[in-house]
Amino acid sequence: MKKWVLPITIVCMISGLLLSLQLRAQSTIVSNPISERNQALIEIINKLENETDVIQSQISKIREEIETIEERKSYGQEDIIQLQNKVQKARKEAGLIPLKGPGLVIILDDNKAGLQAAQNDDPNRYIIHYENILNVISELKLAKVEAISINGQRIVTSSEIRCVGNVILVNTTRLAPPFEIKAIGNPSFLEDILLSGEFELLKNLGFPVSYTKHTSEDPIEIPAYAGSFQFKYIKSD
Amino acid sequence: MERKSWQIPVTIVLIFVGILLTLQFQSQTRVLTDLSTQKTEHLITMVRNLSDKRTSLMEELATLENTLQELKVSGATDANIIENLNADLKRLSIVNGEKEVSGPGLTVTFSEYDPILYTDLVLLINELWAAGAEAIAINETRVNFNTVIFYGEVNNSMYITANHIPLSFPITIKAIGNPNTLDKGLTLPGGIIDNLALFQAFPEIEQQEELVLPAVEKKVPFYNARDVEKN
Repeated sequence: MKKWVLPITIVCMISGLLLSLQLRAQSTIVSNPISERNQALIEIINKLENETDVIQSQISKIREEIETIEERKSYGQEDIIQLQNKVQKARKEAGLIPLKGPGLVIILDDNKAGLQAAQNDDPNRYIIHYENILNVISELKLAKVEAISINGQRIVTSSEIRCVGNVILVNTTRLAPPFEIKAIGNPSFLEDILLSGEFELLKNLGFPVSYTKHTSEDPIEIPAYAGSFQFKYIKSD
Repeated sequence: MERKSWQIPVTIVLIFVGILLTLQFQSQTRVLTDLSTQKTEHLITMVRNLSDKRTSLMEELATLENTLQELKVSGATDANIIENLNADLKRLSIVNGEKEVSGPGLTVTFSEYDPILYTDLVLLINELWAAGAEAIAINETRVNFNTVIFYGEVNNSMYITANHIPLSFPITIKAIGNPNTLDKGLTLPGGIIDNLALFQAFPEIEQQEELVLPAVEKKVPFYNARDVEKN
Protein backbone atom coordinates (compact mmCIF):
# COMPACT_ATOMS: atom_id res chain seq x y z
CA MET A 1 0.00 0.00 0.00
CA LYS A 2 1.30 3.42 -0.93
CA LYS A 3 1.90 5.99 1.76
CA TRP A 4 -0.71 8.42 0.47
CA VAL A 5 -3.64 6.05 0.42
CA LEU A 6 -4.61 6.42 4.06
CA PRO A 7 -4.59 10.27 4.32
CA ILE A 8 -6.42 10.62 1.00
CA THR A 9 -9.04 8.14 2.11
CA ILE A 10 -9.63 10.01 5.37
CA VAL A 11 -9.84 13.38 3.65
CA CYS A 12 -12.20 11.99 1.02
CA MET A 13 -14.45 10.58 3.71
CA ILE A 14 -14.59 13.92 5.53
CA SER A 15 -15.31 15.84 2.37
CA GLY A 16 -17.99 13.31 1.44
CA LEU A 17 -19.65 13.79 4.81
CA LEU A 18 -19.51 17.58 4.51
CA LEU A 19 -20.85 17.44 0.99
CA SER A 20 -23.84 15.40 2.06
CA LEU A 21 -24.52 17.75 5.01
CA GLN A 22 -24.27 20.69 2.69
CA LEU A 23 -26.61 19.08 0.19
CA ARG A 24 -29.08 18.36 2.96
CA ALA A 25 -29.02 21.96 4.20
CA GLN A 26 -29.43 23.15 0.61
CA SER A 27 -32.23 20.78 -0.18
CA THR A 28 -34.30 21.75 2.86
CA ILE A 29 -34.28 25.24 1.43
CA VAL A 30 -34.83 24.11 -2.13
CA SER A 31 -37.54 21.60 -1.32
CA ASN A 32 -39.43 24.40 0.41
CA PRO A 33 -39.55 26.67 -2.61
CA ILE A 34 -40.65 30.23 -2.03
CA SER A 35 -43.95 30.39 -3.76
CA GLU A 36 -44.73 33.45 -5.81
CA ARG A 37 -47.29 34.41 -3.23
CA ASN A 38 -44.71 34.35 -0.43
CA GLN A 39 -42.34 36.33 -2.60
CA ALA A 40 -45.03 38.98 -3.06
CA LEU A 41 -45.69 39.04 0.70
CA ILE A 42 -41.99 39.48 1.45
CA GLU A 43 -41.88 42.41 -0.94
CA ILE A 44 -44.87 43.99 0.81
CA ILE A 45 -43.20 43.48 4.20
CA ASN A 46 -39.99 45.12 3.02
CA LYS A 47 -41.91 48.01 1.54
CA LEU A 48 -43.99 48.52 4.70
CA GLU A 49 -40.86 48.34 6.87
CA ASN A 50 -39.19 51.02 4.79
CA GLU A 51 -42.27 53.21 4.97
CA THR A 52 -42.69 52.87 8.73
CA ASP A 53 -38.98 53.63 9.18
CA VAL A 54 -39.38 56.83 7.20
CA ILE A 55 -42.52 57.91 9.08
CA GLN A 56 -40.85 57.15 12.41
CA SER A 57 -37.88 59.33 11.64
CA GLN A 58 -40.27 62.10 10.57
CA ILE A 59 -42.15 61.70 13.86
CA SER A 60 -38.92 61.91 15.86
CA LYS A 61 -37.87 65.01 13.97
CA ILE A 62 -41.19 66.82 14.46
CA ARG A 63 -41.32 65.85 18.14
CA GLU A 64 -37.91 67.45 18.58
CA GLU A 65 -38.94 70.56 16.67
CA ILE A 66 -42.08 71.00 18.77
CA GLU A 67 -40.04 70.44 21.91
CA THR A 68 -37.55 73.12 20.90
CA ILE A 69 -40.28 75.68 20.24
CA GLU A 70 -42.21 74.83 23.38
CA GLU A 71 -39.15 74.80 25.59
CA ARG A 72 -38.11 78.27 24.44
CA LYS A 73 -36.83 80.15 27.42
CA SER A 74 -39.41 82.60 28.71
CA TYR A 75 -37.54 84.48 31.39
CA GLY A 76 -39.61 85.65 34.30
CA GLN A 77 -42.73 83.82 33.22
CA GLU A 78 -43.00 81.44 36.12
CA ASP A 79 -46.25 79.82 34.91
CA ILE A 80 -44.82 78.89 31.50
CA ILE A 81 -41.60 77.56 33.00
CA GLN A 82 -43.55 75.40 35.41
CA LEU A 83 -45.74 74.07 32.65
CA GLN A 84 -42.67 73.38 30.49
CA ASN A 85 -41.08 71.42 33.31
CA LYS A 86 -44.23 69.37 33.80
CA VAL A 87 -44.44 68.50 30.11
CA GLN A 88 -40.75 67.62 29.97
CA LYS A 89 -41.15 65.33 32.97
CA ALA A 90 -44.17 63.64 31.39
CA ARG A 91 -42.26 63.17 28.12
CA LYS A 92 -39.40 61.57 29.99
CA GLU A 93 -41.79 59.22 31.76
CA ALA A 94 -43.52 58.29 28.49
CA GLY A 95 -40.18 57.31 26.91
CA LEU A 96 -40.03 60.21 24.47
CA ILE A 97 -36.62 61.47 25.61
CA PRO A 98 -33.29 59.70 25.00
CA LEU A 99 -31.69 58.85 28.34
CA LYS A 100 -28.26 57.94 29.63
CA GLY A 101 -27.01 56.51 32.86
CA PRO A 102 -25.47 53.55 34.67
CA GLY A 103 -26.83 50.06 34.21
CA LEU A 104 -26.36 46.82 32.33
CA VAL A 105 -25.98 45.82 28.69
CA ILE A 106 -27.19 42.26 28.33
CA ILE A 107 -26.58 40.07 25.29
CA LEU A 108 -28.76 37.03 24.56
CA ASP A 109 -27.85 34.95 21.53
CA ASP A 110 -29.01 31.77 19.85
CA ASN A 111 -27.08 28.64 20.79
CA LYS A 112 -25.60 28.04 17.34
CA ALA A 113 -22.81 25.84 18.64
CA GLY A 114 -25.32 23.62 20.44
CA LEU A 115 -27.46 23.26 17.33
CA GLN A 116 -24.38 22.49 15.27
CA ALA A 117 -23.45 19.72 17.68
CA ALA A 118 -26.95 18.24 17.71
CA GLN A 119 -28.18 18.59 14.18
CA ASN A 120 -31.11 16.23 14.54
CA ASP A 121 -32.45 17.87 17.67
CA ASP A 122 -35.36 20.31 17.62
CA PRO A 123 -33.86 23.69 16.54
CA ASN A 124 -36.40 25.46 18.76
CA ARG A 125 -34.38 24.37 21.77
CA TYR A 126 -31.42 26.39 20.56
CA ILE A 127 -32.97 29.74 19.75
CA ILE A 128 -33.91 32.65 21.99
CA HIS A 129 -37.69 32.94 22.16
CA TYR A 130 -39.72 36.05 22.84
CA GLU A 131 -40.73 34.63 26.22
CA ASN A 132 -37.05 34.57 27.27
CA ILE A 133 -36.72 38.28 26.49
CA LEU A 134 -40.06 39.07 28.13
CA ASN A 135 -38.99 37.25 31.30
CA VAL A 136 -35.64 39.05 31.49
CA ILE A 137 -37.43 42.38 31.12
CA SER A 138 -40.09 41.61 33.66
CA GLU A 139 -37.32 40.65 36.13
CA LEU A 140 -35.45 43.90 35.46
CA LYS A 141 -38.60 45.77 36.49
CA LEU A 142 -38.34 44.06 39.86
CA ALA A 143 -34.93 45.76 40.17
CA LYS A 144 -36.48 49.20 39.54
CA VAL A 145 -35.12 49.55 36.03
CA GLU A 146 -35.66 53.10 34.70
CA ALA A 147 -35.35 52.64 30.93
CA ILE A 148 -34.96 49.67 28.59
CA SER A 149 -34.20 49.18 24.92
CA ILE A 150 -33.84 46.00 22.87
CA ASN A 151 -31.72 46.27 19.73
CA GLY A 152 -32.42 50.01 19.72
CA GLN A 153 -36.18 49.73 20.29
CA ARG A 154 -37.19 51.71 23.37
CA ILE A 155 -39.58 49.78 25.60
CA VAL A 156 -42.59 51.83 26.70
CA THR A 157 -45.69 50.78 28.66
CA SER A 158 -47.52 49.53 25.57
CA SER A 159 -44.51 47.89 23.85
CA GLU A 160 -45.20 44.30 22.90
CA ILE A 161 -42.64 41.56 22.41
CA ARG A 162 -43.94 38.83 20.16
CA CYS A 163 -42.97 36.32 17.57
CA VAL A 164 -44.42 35.50 14.21
CA GLY A 165 -43.03 32.21 12.99
CA ASN A 166 -39.53 32.37 14.46
CA VAL A 167 -39.09 36.11 13.90
CA ILE A 168 -39.10 38.25 17.05
CA LEU A 169 -40.79 41.63 16.86
CA VAL A 170 -40.66 44.51 19.32
CA ASN A 171 -42.80 47.60 18.63
CA THR A 172 -43.72 45.70 15.43
CA THR A 173 -40.06 45.96 14.34
CA ARG A 174 -38.25 42.80 13.30
CA LEU A 175 -35.21 42.04 15.46
CA ALA A 176 -32.43 39.60 14.67
CA PRO A 177 -30.19 37.87 17.22
CA PRO A 178 -28.00 38.65 19.10
CA PHE A 179 -30.47 40.57 21.27
CA GLU A 180 -28.90 43.48 23.09
CA ILE A 181 -30.93 44.60 26.09
CA LYS A 182 -29.85 47.94 27.54
CA ALA A 183 -31.13 48.71 31.01
CA ILE A 184 -30.56 51.94 32.95
CA GLY A 185 -30.78 51.68 36.72
CA ASN A 186 -28.72 50.77 39.75
CA PRO A 187 -26.17 48.33 38.26
CA SER A 188 -25.86 46.22 41.44
CA PHE A 189 -29.64 45.81 41.87
CA LEU A 190 -30.01 44.91 38.22
CA GLU A 191 -27.13 42.44 38.38
CA ASP A 192 -28.49 40.69 41.50
CA ILE A 193 -31.86 40.11 39.87
CA LEU A 194 -30.37 39.15 36.51
CA LEU A 195 -28.20 36.48 38.06
CA SER A 196 -31.09 34.77 39.82
CA GLY A 197 -33.56 34.40 36.96
CA GLU A 198 -34.05 33.77 33.26
CA PHE A 199 -30.51 34.85 32.35
CA GLU A 200 -28.95 32.17 34.57
CA LEU A 201 -31.38 29.61 33.19
CA LEU A 202 -30.31 30.37 29.62
CA LYS A 203 -26.66 30.33 30.62
CA ASN A 204 -27.05 26.89 32.21
CA LEU A 205 -28.72 25.62 29.04
CA GLY A 206 -25.57 26.59 27.14
CA PHE A 207 -26.81 29.78 25.46
CA PRO A 208 -24.07 32.35 24.77
CA VAL A 209 -25.39 35.04 27.10
CA SER A 210 -23.33 37.80 28.72
CA TYR A 211 -23.62 41.21 30.30
CA THR A 212 -21.48 44.23 31.07
CA LYS A 213 -21.90 46.67 33.94
CA HIS A 214 -21.75 50.39 33.28
CA THR A 215 -21.14 53.14 35.82
CA SER A 216 -22.27 56.76 35.50
CA GLU A 217 -18.75 57.60 34.26
CA ASP A 218 -19.27 55.11 31.45
CA PRO A 219 -23.01 55.53 30.82
CA ILE A 220 -25.38 53.57 28.60
CA GLU A 221 -27.44 55.56 26.12
CA ILE A 222 -31.01 54.55 25.31
CA PRO A 223 -32.88 56.13 22.38
CA ALA A 224 -36.34 57.72 22.55
CA TYR A 225 -39.47 55.88 21.50
CA ALA A 226 -40.22 56.73 17.87
CA GLY A 227 -43.63 55.07 17.63
CA SER A 228 -47.15 56.31 18.14
CA PHE A 229 -49.55 56.68 21.03
CA GLN A 230 -53.04 56.56 19.59
CA PHE A 231 -56.16 56.51 21.72
CA LYS A 232 -59.34 55.66 19.84
CA TYR A 233 -61.25 53.82 22.52
CA ILE A 234 -60.24 55.69 25.64
CA LYS A 235 -62.75 58.42 26.33
CA SER A 236 -61.05 61.63 27.28
CA ASP A 237 -63.12 64.48 28.54
CA MET B 1 12.58 20.40 -1.36
CA GLU B 2 11.63 16.95 -2.42
CA ARG B 3 7.99 16.81 -3.38
CA LYS B 4 6.04 13.75 -2.37
CA SER B 5 3.49 12.42 -4.79
CA TRP B 6 0.58 12.82 -2.36
CA GLN B 7 1.08 16.52 -1.65
CA ILE B 8 -0.87 17.90 -4.60
CA PRO B 9 -4.01 15.79 -4.25
CA VAL B 10 -4.12 16.40 -0.49
CA THR B 11 -3.78 20.17 -1.00
CA ILE B 12 -6.59 20.21 -3.53
CA VAL B 13 -8.85 18.15 -1.31
CA LEU B 14 -8.10 20.35 1.72
CA ILE B 15 -8.98 23.51 -0.22
CA PHE B 16 -12.22 21.82 -1.25
CA VAL B 17 -12.96 20.90 2.38
CA GLY B 18 -12.35 24.50 3.42
CA ILE B 19 -14.81 25.81 0.83
CA LEU B 20 -17.41 23.27 1.91
CA LEU B 21 -16.95 24.19 5.55
CA THR B 22 -17.57 27.89 4.90
CA LEU B 23 -20.61 27.11 2.77
CA GLN B 24 -21.94 24.80 5.44
CA PHE B 25 -21.52 27.45 8.14
CA GLN B 26 -23.21 30.09 6.01
CA SER B 27 -26.25 27.99 5.27
CA GLN B 28 -26.53 27.12 8.98
CA THR B 29 -26.62 30.69 10.25
CA ARG B 30 -28.90 31.95 7.54
CA VAL B 31 -31.92 29.78 8.19
CA LEU B 32 -33.20 31.54 11.31
CA THR B 33 -34.20 35.13 10.60
CA ASP B 34 -34.68 35.05 6.86
CA LEU B 35 -38.19 35.88 5.72
CA SER B 36 -37.94 33.42 2.85
CA THR B 37 -38.05 30.55 5.33
CA GLN B 38 -41.29 31.74 6.96
CA LYS B 39 -44.69 30.21 6.38
CA THR B 40 -47.28 32.08 4.31
CA GLU B 41 -49.62 32.54 7.28
CA HIS B 42 -46.82 34.14 9.31
CA LEU B 43 -45.95 36.48 6.47
CA ILE B 44 -49.61 37.51 6.24
CA THR B 45 -49.65 38.23 10.00
CA MET B 46 -46.54 40.38 9.59
CA VAL B 47 -48.13 42.32 6.72
CA ARG B 48 -51.24 42.97 8.81
CA ASN B 49 -49.29 44.08 11.86
CA LEU B 50 -47.14 46.39 9.78
CA SER B 51 -50.18 47.89 8.04
CA ASP B 52 -51.77 48.63 11.42
CA LYS B 53 -48.52 50.16 12.59
CA ARG B 54 -48.28 52.34 9.51
CA THR B 55 -51.85 53.61 9.94
CA SER B 56 -51.19 54.44 13.56
CA LEU B 57 -47.90 56.18 12.72
CA MET B 58 -49.56 58.23 9.97
CA GLU B 59 -52.18 59.42 12.45
CA GLU B 60 -49.52 60.33 14.98
CA LEU B 61 -47.58 62.21 12.31
CA ALA B 62 -50.71 64.15 11.25
CA THR B 63 -51.40 65.20 14.86
CA LEU B 64 -47.80 66.31 15.35
CA GLU B 65 -47.71 68.20 12.05
CA ASN B 66 -50.84 70.03 13.09
CA THR B 67 -49.31 71.08 16.39
CA LEU B 68 -46.11 72.22 14.71
CA GLN B 69 -48.06 74.19 12.10
CA GLU B 70 -50.05 75.98 14.78
CA LEU B 71 -46.91 76.87 16.67
CA LYS B 72 -45.22 78.18 13.55
CA VAL B 73 -48.14 80.13 12.12
CA SER B 74 -48.90 81.88 15.36
CA GLY B 75 -45.24 82.77 15.70
CA ALA B 76 -45.22 80.87 18.96
CA THR B 77 -46.79 83.46 21.20
CA ASP B 78 -46.85 82.74 24.91
CA ALA B 79 -50.60 82.09 24.78
CA ASN B 80 -50.14 79.61 21.98
CA ILE B 81 -47.30 77.83 23.70
CA ILE B 82 -49.32 77.53 26.88
CA GLU B 83 -52.25 76.10 24.93
CA ASN B 84 -50.06 73.51 23.21
CA LEU B 85 -48.21 72.58 26.38
CA ASN B 86 -51.55 71.95 28.07
CA ALA B 87 -52.70 69.80 25.14
CA ASP B 88 -49.43 67.81 25.33
CA LEU B 89 -49.81 67.39 29.04
CA LYS B 90 -53.34 66.09 28.67
CA ARG B 91 -52.30 63.50 26.10
CA LEU B 92 -49.21 62.44 28.05
CA SER B 93 -51.30 62.04 31.19
CA ILE B 94 -53.25 59.31 29.38
CA VAL B 95 -50.00 57.71 28.15
CA ASN B 96 -48.57 57.75 31.67
CA GLY B 97 -51.78 56.62 33.33
CA GLU B 98 -52.16 59.72 35.52
CA LYS B 99 -55.92 59.65 35.37
CA GLU B 100 -58.76 57.18 35.66
CA VAL B 101 -59.84 56.27 32.12
CA SER B 102 -62.92 54.62 30.67
CA GLY B 103 -63.91 52.97 27.41
CA PRO B 104 -64.95 49.68 25.82
CA GLY B 105 -62.71 46.64 26.02
CA LEU B 106 -62.19 43.17 27.36
CA THR B 107 -61.98 41.51 30.75
CA VAL B 108 -60.12 38.27 31.47
CA THR B 109 -60.96 36.72 34.82
CA PHE B 110 -59.10 33.93 36.60
CA SER B 111 -60.78 32.09 39.44
CA GLU B 112 -58.91 30.55 42.34
CA TYR B 113 -59.22 27.17 40.59
CA ASP B 114 -57.11 28.27 37.66
CA PRO B 115 -53.52 27.11 38.21
CA ILE B 116 -51.62 30.16 37.00
CA LEU B 117 -48.15 31.57 37.49
CA TYR B 118 -47.11 35.20 37.51
CA THR B 119 -45.49 34.67 34.12
CA ASP B 120 -48.93 33.80 32.67
CA LEU B 121 -50.13 37.26 33.65
CA VAL B 122 -47.00 38.87 32.17
CA LEU B 123 -47.63 36.99 28.91
CA LEU B 124 -51.32 37.82 28.89
CA ILE B 125 -50.69 41.53 29.36
CA ASN B 126 -48.05 41.41 26.62
CA GLU B 127 -50.60 39.77 24.28
CA LEU B 128 -53.17 42.44 25.09
CA TRP B 129 -50.70 45.23 24.17
CA ALA B 130 -49.89 43.32 20.98
CA ALA B 131 -53.62 43.19 20.18
CA GLY B 132 -53.85 46.98 20.45
CA ALA B 133 -54.88 47.59 24.07
CA GLU B 134 -54.79 51.29 25.00
CA ALA B 135 -54.76 50.85 28.78
CA ILE B 136 -54.62 47.82 31.08
CA ALA B 137 -55.25 47.17 34.77
CA ILE B 138 -54.93 44.04 36.94
CA ASN B 139 -57.52 44.07 39.69
CA GLU B 140 -57.07 47.63 40.94
CA THR B 141 -53.53 48.20 39.67
CA ARG B 142 -53.12 50.20 36.48
CA VAL B 143 -50.27 48.83 34.38
CA ASN B 144 -47.44 51.17 33.38
CA PHE B 145 -43.78 50.71 32.41
CA ASN B 146 -42.74 50.16 36.03
CA THR B 147 -45.47 47.70 37.05
CA VAL B 148 -43.85 44.70 38.71
CA ILE B 149 -45.75 41.44 38.40
CA PHE B 150 -44.14 38.76 40.53
CA TYR B 151 -44.90 36.40 43.35
CA GLY B 152 -44.65 36.87 47.07
CA GLU B 153 -45.28 35.03 50.29
CA VAL B 154 -47.74 36.09 52.97
CA ASN B 155 -48.29 33.86 56.03
CA ASN B 156 -46.70 30.91 54.26
CA SER B 157 -48.96 31.18 51.22
CA MET B 158 -47.73 32.10 47.78
CA TYR B 159 -49.46 34.92 45.97
CA ILE B 160 -49.09 36.54 42.60
CA THR B 161 -48.33 40.18 43.27
CA ALA B 162 -48.73 43.41 41.36
CA ASN B 163 -46.31 46.07 42.62
CA HIS B 164 -45.63 43.74 45.58
CA ILE B 165 -49.28 43.73 46.69
CA PRO B 166 -50.84 40.24 46.73
CA LEU B 167 -53.61 39.82 44.15
CA SER B 168 -56.70 38.15 45.50
CA PHE B 169 -58.92 35.95 43.38
CA PRO B 170 -60.78 36.45 41.17
CA ILE B 171 -57.92 38.13 39.31
CA THR B 172 -59.38 40.35 36.62
CA ILE B 173 -57.38 41.92 33.84
CA LYS B 174 -59.17 44.83 32.21
CA ALA B 175 -58.06 46.21 28.87
CA ILE B 176 -59.50 49.18 27.00
CA GLY B 177 -59.47 48.86 23.22
CA ASN B 178 -61.46 47.30 20.41
CA PRO B 179 -63.26 44.44 22.24
CA ASN B 180 -63.32 42.22 19.17
CA THR B 181 -59.66 42.67 18.25
CA LEU B 182 -58.54 42.13 21.84
CA ASP B 183 -60.68 38.99 22.07
CA LYS B 184 -59.26 37.57 18.84
CA GLY B 185 -55.70 38.40 19.89
CA LEU B 186 -56.09 36.07 22.87
CA THR B 187 -58.31 33.34 21.48
CA LEU B 188 -56.68 32.69 18.11
CA PRO B 189 -55.77 29.01 17.58
CA GLY B 190 -52.48 28.25 19.31
CA GLY B 191 -52.73 31.52 21.18
CA ILE B 192 -52.38 32.20 24.88
CA ILE B 193 -55.84 30.93 25.85
CA ASP B 194 -55.18 27.62 24.06
CA ASN B 195 -51.89 27.45 25.90
CA LEU B 196 -53.47 28.10 29.30
CA ALA B 197 -56.04 25.38 28.60
CA LEU B 198 -53.16 22.89 28.32
CA PHE B 199 -52.43 23.66 31.96
CA GLN B 200 -56.09 23.42 32.96
CA ALA B 201 -56.54 27.17 33.33
CA PHE B 202 -59.79 28.39 31.77
CA PRO B 203 -60.18 32.14 32.32
CA GLU B 204 -63.47 33.81 31.55
CA ILE B 205 -63.23 36.28 28.67
CA GLU B 206 -65.87 38.95 28.28
CA GLN B 207 -66.21 41.83 25.86
CA GLN B 208 -67.30 44.96 27.70
CA GLU B 209 -69.04 48.10 26.56
CA GLU B 210 -67.73 50.23 29.36
CA LEU B 211 -64.72 49.67 31.60
CA VAL B 212 -63.21 52.02 34.14
CA LEU B 213 -59.48 51.70 34.90
CA PRO B 214 -57.87 53.40 37.88
CA ALA B 215 -54.91 55.80 37.67
CA VAL B 216 -51.33 54.64 38.25
CA GLU B 217 -50.45 54.71 41.94
CA LYS B 218 -46.78 53.95 41.91
CA LYS B 219 -44.01 55.45 39.86
CA VAL B 220 -40.31 54.73 39.88
CA PRO B 221 -38.45 58.05 39.96
CA PHE B 222 -35.47 58.53 37.68
CA TYR B 223 -32.58 58.20 40.13
CA ASN B 224 -30.02 57.09 37.57
CA ALA B 225 -31.24 58.13 34.14
CA ARG B 226 -30.31 61.59 32.86
CA ASP B 227 -31.34 63.39 29.69
CA VAL B 228 -28.91 63.01 26.83
CA GLU B 229 -27.54 66.45 25.96
CA LYS B 230 -28.80 67.81 22.68
CA ASN B 231 -26.26 68.74 20.05
